[in-house]
Amino acid sequence: MKIGVRIMPKNEVLDSQGRAVERTLKQNKKAFAEKLKGCRVGKYVLLEVDEADKSKAIARATEIAEFVLYNPLTETYEIEVLS
Amino acid sequence: MKDLDRKLKAYRISSGEYDRIQTLLGRPPRGIEWALFSALWSEHCSYKSSRVHLKNLFNKSPRVLMSFGENAGVVDLGRGEKVAFKMESHNHPSFIEPYEGAATGVGGILRDIFTMGAKPIALANYLCFGEPTAPRMASLVDGVVRGIGGYGNCVGVPTITGQTEFHESYNKNILVNAFALGLFREGEPILSAKAQGVGNLVVYVGAKTGKDGVHGASMASEAFDDDNSAKKPTIQKGDPFYEKLLIESCLEVMREKLVVAVQDMGAAGLTSSSFEMAARGEVGFNIHLDRVPLRDSSMTPEEILLSESQERMLLIVEPKNLAKLKTVFARWDLDAEAIGEVTKGPEVELFWQTESLCRLDPKVLVDEAPRYERPFYVWKNKNRVEESDVKKAVTPDIKKILTVMGDVRGNGRSWVFSQYDQRVGAKTAHDCRDSVGILRLPDTGRGLGMTLGCRPYLMRFDAKVGAIDSIAYPALELAAKGIETMAATDCLNYGNPEQPEIMSEFVATIEGMSAQCEALGAPIISGNVSFYNETMGENITSTPTTGLVGVCDSVEHLPKSHFVNKNSEVYLLSNVQMQISGLWSEVARSPTVGHGDIDVKSHARFVELTRKLVSEIRLEATRVVGKFGLGYALARMCEGRLGFAVDTAALRSSGIQSSDFFVEKLYQAILVVNSDHALKLRERFNELAGGAQAPIKLERLGTVVEDKFSLGDNLDCKVSEIQSAYQTSWEVLIAGLS
Amino acid sequence: MIGVVRFLGTNCDQDVFEAVHQVGLKPKWVWHQDHFDRKDFDALIIPGGFSYGDYLRCGALAARSPVMQSVSEAAKAGVPVLGICNGFQILCEAQLLPGALLKNNTLRFKDDWVDLKIVNSNARFGGAGLKKAHLPIAHGEGRYYLEQDQVKQLFDDEQVWCVYEKNPNGSLENIAGVMNDKHNVAALMPHPERAMAEFMGGEDGRRFFESLLT
Repeated sequence: MKIGVRIMPKNEVLDSQGRAVERTLKQNKKAFAEKLKGCRVGKYVLLEVDEADKSKAIARATEIAEFVLYNPLTETYEIEVLS
Repeated sequence: MKDLDRKLKAYRISSGEYDRIQTLLGRPPRGIEWALFSALWSEHCSYKSSRVHLKNLFNKSPRVLMSFGENAGVVDLGRGEKVAFKMESHNHPSFIEPYEGAATGVGGILRDIFTMGAKPIALANYLCFGEPTAPRMASLVDGVVRGIGGYGNCVGVPTITGQTEFHESYNKNILVNAFALGLFREGEPILSAKAQGVGNLVVYVGAKTGKDGVHGASMASEAFDDDNSAKKPTIQKGDPFYEKLLIESCLEVMREKLVVAVQDMGAAGLTSSSFEMAARGEVGFNIHLDRVPLRDSSMTPEEILLSESQERMLLIVEPKNLAKLKTVFARWDLDAEAIGEVTKGPEVELFWQTESLCRLDPKVLVDEAPRYERPFYVWKNKNRVEESDVKKAVTPDIKKILTVMGDVRGNGRSWVFSQYDQRVGAKTAHDCRDSVGILRLPDTGRGLGMTLGCRPYLMRFDAKVGAIDSIAYPALELAAKGIETMAATDCLNYGNPEQPEIMSEFVATIEGMSAQCEALGAPIISGNVSFYNETMGENITSTPTTGLVGVCDSVEHLPKSHFVNKNSEVYLLSNVQMQISGLWSEVARSPTVGHGDIDVKSHARFVELTRKLVSEIRLEATRVVGKFGLGYALARMCEGRLGFAVDTAALRSSGIQSSDFFVEKLYQAILVVNSDHALKLRERFNELAGGAQAPIKLERLGTVVEDKFSLGDNLDCKVSEIQSAYQTSWEVLIAGLS
Repeated sequence: MIGVVRFLGTNCDQDVFEAVHQVGLKPKWVWHQDHFDRKDFDALIIPGGFSYGDYLRCGALAARSPVMQSVSEAAKAGVPVLGICNGFQILCEAQLLPGALLKNNTLRFKDDWVDLKIVNSNARFGGAGLKKAHLPIAHGEGRYYLEQDQVKQLFDDEQVWCVYEKNPNGSLENIAGVMNDKHNVAALMPHPERAMAEFMGGEDGRRFFESLLT
């Protein structure tokens, strides 16, 4: 089963990459400067888990995410089943 | 016939070369042979336009242990210490994808070094960018510097010196030349790329093979057209983490003597490494392509042969050592796979399972590669005028110094080098801030100095002068730190060699560099040629980059490159044979003019005298006068509040005028000495110079003072003005950098 | 005996090993797959330098390798553990130290010399009398971060080991090094092993190794 793990910096943590992307966007286009209200950069990890059962697969992916994929101090994660 | 033309074009083989292949084989090439000839007969692998001239490079010296033909040259420093070093270009890949191009350039040159058995301990890089306003230039500058840092920092080899140039001739073809140096401590073996021992195994080590860089070598041998997007898929991606593992594991198996010979899979990948190793050892190989570890199982044999996936090595191993070798690599989490064996030959035969794909004598591909004698004309001096006209071309004005210090051509480079780890390895004595990088050798405590050379504006003025200078100037820089040049490497970046103007500059370069090397007794031990640096018919400035390496007895009390103490005395040591209007003319967009010529023998004596003086007298600081002349060089030495004031009486007696602070003179060096040692300096100079060599002079210029910078005749400013101009941030100078 | 832990990709390992040796102590390699008894070592050092290529997050992969179980047990038993640069990142990831290290505010790697002020001196780490130090830094992710409500606690508990005189990376409260609550695990971003002699630009680094067994 394929499972995606989306990892994002916590809102309260300064996301220096997101800030840089936002600044670049706003500097380049007036419409972006007016309409862009925020930008944060995260990571996406694609896992292929050898589990047929959906809940077992989610449990396995959660275990993996908790083991190393995210840092609870600075990041949050979400899991989504892809196929 | 149309089919043949299309094939020749696709494989970048000329019709003359096709005829040669037919003669050598006694039949037309077939199947996979097309790809083999395409790769190994490319300019990049075969040096077909340069070979006849490269043999003229001065390379003779008893201290040379390995030279051209191996992955890198090796020079004996005495007292049990040896170093391997080399420089290589990664220009085209870096223009297409700056981060990966520059990063893999560093990775490739490091592999050339540890392939010899030497532990890499220093990196340096020579970069030429276009005008800051040229399209994509900010992102090229950013990407290249990040790429070099990203790779070098991670792999754990310090970058300790370098040079960065800007000129419009590089707008569409930047230069990224990477230099690496490795150390052999006493008793450590030097490895060769010569395959030996019938029955030995051919072992593949490192990353799995993917489709990266297929046809890269022939691409590097081709001029740019505007459609680079189509070539994008061939870019390789490097992994410095993997390289680090490869360095550690390869050095371990080499030192345990488990390896007979070794070669990096660089340009044209498995093809060049296997055929070149066999040709050098005059043996044959049976190679089983189906045993090559693959990242992408859909790859064809041709793609496997030509893949330029990074971080891969080919080892020749005795069968009895295979198990031990595999254990070492496994410890470093790497695979080692036997993919063939050494045969009596002479053919190398390639198999896919049981099917023979091709059976060829490697000499046909390697030794019989075409050699061209491209037309060129005999070099004549260029842009020479009367001495008084050189003076007239340069107007003394302190504001001009401040202006160029706030321009990319004269500005500080800390934006670049602060992104490089300059101290990993814990040997760094002088880092990128200095004009010369110096490491402390761990066993003898001696200093190992290195610096890069080539001033492109001198190449534009007169290529022969520029070529001599590419050795003469860095050799004097080393001498000014007390270091004796032991050997050199080069990386020759040129435009289209089929144009006689370019070929003439190339030939003049070889002559000029070689003459100065011979006079200094410093052999060129390795090198690289990069032709076809042209886009839409516009050639780059011919740029013969060099790397000079030398030693001194100790790293204690090395002179700095900036003022250290107030009230110290400032002297000018000179042996002036040429005067030029130099970079001032380029800034003013007027023609550069000069007077005189460099006498390589006289310069070699001057270098030796400088080195003796510096190593015998305790000097606080030294700096060789270079671009923008003496005034700019003195301004560069200001540090903190410390500035400089001329001694008007001394200048009057020596006849130095304000124009002498601006005209570029080849060659001069500034020596700063505490007044307690000044007398000793003058006395020792008189002994060494012995009166006989009239042009060699030592003159007092002035004193280190606080806050003020004064060259006399109303050429004054504040040290703070110099600092703020010199430290103008690159984000200001190069729009789009952040 | 001082254990020097090596992970795949660690690149300051030799320098630290040599520094320990230079101050007259005995270094011994500890491999990332090793397990050891806490009595085997008088102190442990986690050197700097791109373990696992800094992939995923700096120090994250190293922090999960087998040897860290032994390091953790030793730390809990009171064995002094010093982390340098990537070693700091690993100790944070292993939750032996509070906080995390994020990308520099410039988003660029930075090599420079810094002046450190020792906020809470420690006999084992630099010595009781150490007040300041001039050391090199070389990192891309050295911006110390801790949740706002815990920062005061960190200062109150005397867990802030040293701060930068001039902030090079956007680090919270200029923090350059921290200690655990028991003050036997400490780490800093600057590299003391690169300031062991005059030729390197200073000798302030020696104190950080000399003091390990006092």
